Amino acid sequence: MKKWIKIILILAIAGIIAAVLVFKFYINKPHKDIENAKAEYTFKADELYTEFKSNNNADSLYADKVIEISGSISKIETPTDSLVVAVFSQKKDTTQTNTDDLFAELDADGGIRCSMLFKYNEDAKKIVVSSPIKIKGLCIGKQGSDIIFEKCSIVK
Amino acid sequence: MKNLIRFSIILLMISGSVFGQKYMTKNGKISFFSNGQTEKIEAVNNQVSSALDITTGDLVFKLLMKSFLFEKALMQEHFNENYVESDKFPDASFKGKVTNLSEINFTKNGKYKAMVEGDLKIHGVTKNVKSPGNIEVKDGKIIATAKFSLLLKDYGIKIPNTVINNISESIEITVNVGLDKIK
Repeated sequence: MKKWIKIILILAIAGIIAAVLVFKFYINKPHKDIENAKAEYTFKADELYTEFKSNNNADSLYADKVIEISGSISKIETPTDSLVVAVFSQKKDTTQTNTDDLFAELDADGGIRCSMLFKYNEDAKKIVVSSPIKIKGLCIGKQGSDIIFEKCSIVK
Repeated sequence: MKNLIRFSIILLMISGSVFGQKYMTKNGKISFFSNGQTEKIEAVNNQVSSALDITTGDLVFKLLMKSFLFEKALMQEHFNENYVESDKFPDASFKGKVTNLSEINFTKNGKYKAMVEGDLKIHGVTKNVKSPGNIEVKDGKIIATAKFSLLLKDYGIKIPNTVINNISESIEITVNVGLDKIK
């Protein structure tokens, strides 16, 4: 085989491998596996809630981080068949008096809202309210009086 | 005296059912769809807060941009980091009104056409928007749905030239919230 054919062949193969790698690990890179990721922070539910309430930098500190929360769930919401949200609730904030504002109405009852990974939906529906539990998920940030978590799993 | 107390209690119960006419949810769903020339992109947010006051027609929505989940991780990353700049502008909100309140009977099951108008804030930019929608009253629950489009440039969201064929300039927004009466 002529030398230049060899070179072209090697370059072509290298090009294809590079394209496949770019496609697999860049364009089509998988979502972070929150379920199996190590928690970067561990909090008790009320401590995390207080942290978000008192620390103005909480969003930049904890958003996009995998956090494990321990505490007790006060309600399980199942708005649709595919969505289960476990809520660590806080007591109603009675200092809110401006109820003419609908945003204030939304903030009157705050908590840590954990949207479960689909595969944990059935287990989440069986969570016993007020018994201790650990939930791990991706912290999204503060939304009014709530703290939002996505892709949550139950830590065994 | 006993009668007076009884009367007051009844009065309180009646007034409670007449004046406490606010509905809300924290599990509303808003999704968007970009029909680009070379790529179709969809993202869903399942943790939208929304409240509706059926006596005044006041309607609000609030959501976190980072709660929009995409099929592809890279798209989600670009969306948050480059386009809507979620660290700088973490939330989006809407504050407005249902303007045709008289045409909707919130006490009777049924489907009604609704007109909604108000201020939509995305990427730190507030714009007045108007959209038709639907309100379904079903056994004390209110299901509000709407579909409308918005232009990225109206909200100062810039798409680099290199991906201009991948992302549509006009984004279709779908709203679906099930509101429960506030107890």
